[in-house]
Amino acid sequence: MIRKYIALLRMKYIEMLAYRLATFVWMTGAITQPLITMFVWMNIHPEESESFLFYFIAVIFVERMTSAWDVWELDREIREGTFSNLLLRPLHPIHWAIAENIVYKWLFLVILVPVWSAGAVFWPALRPHMTGSRIGWFLAAVVLGAALRFLLSYSCGLLAFWVTKVAAVYGVIDVISLFLSGRIAPLEMLPPQLREWSEWLPFRYMISFPIEIATGAANRGELVRGFAIAAGWLLVLSAVLQWLWRAGMKKNQAVGG
Amino acid sequence: MNMRRYGRVFREFFRACFVEEMEYRSEFFGNFAASFFGVGMALLTVHIFFYQTDDLGGWTYAEVLVLLGVFNTLRGFIDFALRPNMPRLLEHVRRGTLDYILTKPVDSMFYVSFRHLVFWRLIDVVLGFGVIGYGLYVGRYVPSAADVLMFFVVITASLLLIYSLWMMLMTTSFWVVRIDDLSFIFDSFFETARFPGSMYHGAVRMVITYILPAVLITNTPALALLGKWSILTALAALVVAFLFLWVARRFWRFALRFYTGAGG
Repeated sequence: MIRKYIALLRMKYIEMLAYRLATFVWMTGAITQPLITMFVWMNIHPEESESFLFYFIAVIFVERMTSAWDVWELDREIREGTFSNLLLRPLHPIHWAIAENIVYKWLFLVILVPVWSAGAVFWPALRPHMTGSRIGWFLAAVVLGAALRFLLSYSCGLLAFWVTKVAAVYGVIDVISLFLSGRIAPLEMLPPQLREWSEWLPFRYMISFPIEIATGAANRGELVRGFAIAAGWLLVLSAVLQWLWRAGMKKNQAVGG
Repeated sequence: MNMRRYGRVFREFFRACFVEEMEYRSEFFGNFAASFFGVGMALLTVHIFFYQTDDLGGWTYAEVLVLLGVFNTLRGFIDFALRPNMPRLLEHVRRGTLDYILTKPVDSMFYVSFRHLVFWRLIDVVLGFGVIGYGLYVGRYVPSAADVLMFFVVITASLLLIYSLWMMLMTTSFWVVRIDDLSFIFDSFFETARFPGSMYHGAVRMVITYILPAVLITNTPALALLGKWSILTALAALVVAFLFLWVARRFWRFALRFYTGAGG
């Protein structure tokens, strides 16, 4: 399995190099919305400008590290029929998607960490104050967030076996997640009802939760609770994905035969 | 250039796209719902900001709603007429089919920017006006006839500006053929126009006010409708708009020379 993965990663890496420019442009496109939102909040609470700066730069970082584009890929592949090519290969198609995610996120990491470090030299507000174990928890939360977003995106993509407009469905989910994952506002700024919703839905654990760990907003109790809820969602979404996969395969064969 | 003839050609484009769109009638409801949802979420965003404050860069809640309405209207126009054409020009340049367009007896810049129209996007224009109306209602402000007149003058300037900036970006596709769609570069920039320009500070404010006049595009029409206009600002907006249009035109001509150079 490890050898297969190495081969997959190498292939995806070469693929990525071919689309260097597109990848780069694609990345810069993702930073304006958080920056504008940051300006809005700095205006509302000028005295907290420094913490907003840290928060929204962290949003850009975590959002990139957990981003998932599989729904668009699957939508296209299933609609155009190229997905069948992947099915014929001796490895479950999900591994291709996972390898692709690893390669691209590695690239994001390699670009973003030096940028952040350089920024931290000039703006002390960007320097994280984390002890050893917090760094560990933070990284674990980012990986967990990436897994959750991947599962959600992939599951939505599999819906393409039944409906033709999965990108639109995912678009709606994504907009809802803007609010509940902490991209429009740090969750503590939300009205109480929305805040309560955010605790129990998976979106908070995709972006806000790792940042709460990094800023120290989440204490030990909340940390444990957060990981428990996120792990619960991980199980639920994996089960949904497996179920959709099996049902989708039947449906796919019915159309093909 | 004969205006009547171009009006007729534009009507033909409209008709052709309308017929095409009617093939997908069943999607109308979904599109309508999506636009409604988009506006609802934008309103919710503004609401969340004003949950914490009652002033954003010197604008009240009602005023920001009017601004959001203007933003939505303008974006509706972009999605209706400009956005559908961007990837097609890239395709034409890549495949060399632009030659066919250049031989047509209409102006090529006009043709590549308006040939494809996505008719249902006009819903966003209507919804935008709805949001403007709602903002005025919340602020209990009834615009005078002069305000409305000024609004139409400056929003025309805004549309010209948007068209020029979009066209300049689109023209770069002669050199950047590797990317499928450049429109999100424009989107990133245009997104800054969603909020009052007075909200930004320092260098960012300088850039979006003077170099890429995002602030001018949405803020001046909103202010005009709220009665905060001056003849001077309106004139300045028109002058800037025509200046950008001239630059865009020159750039297009320049690019065409480059294209023929490469082709021949």
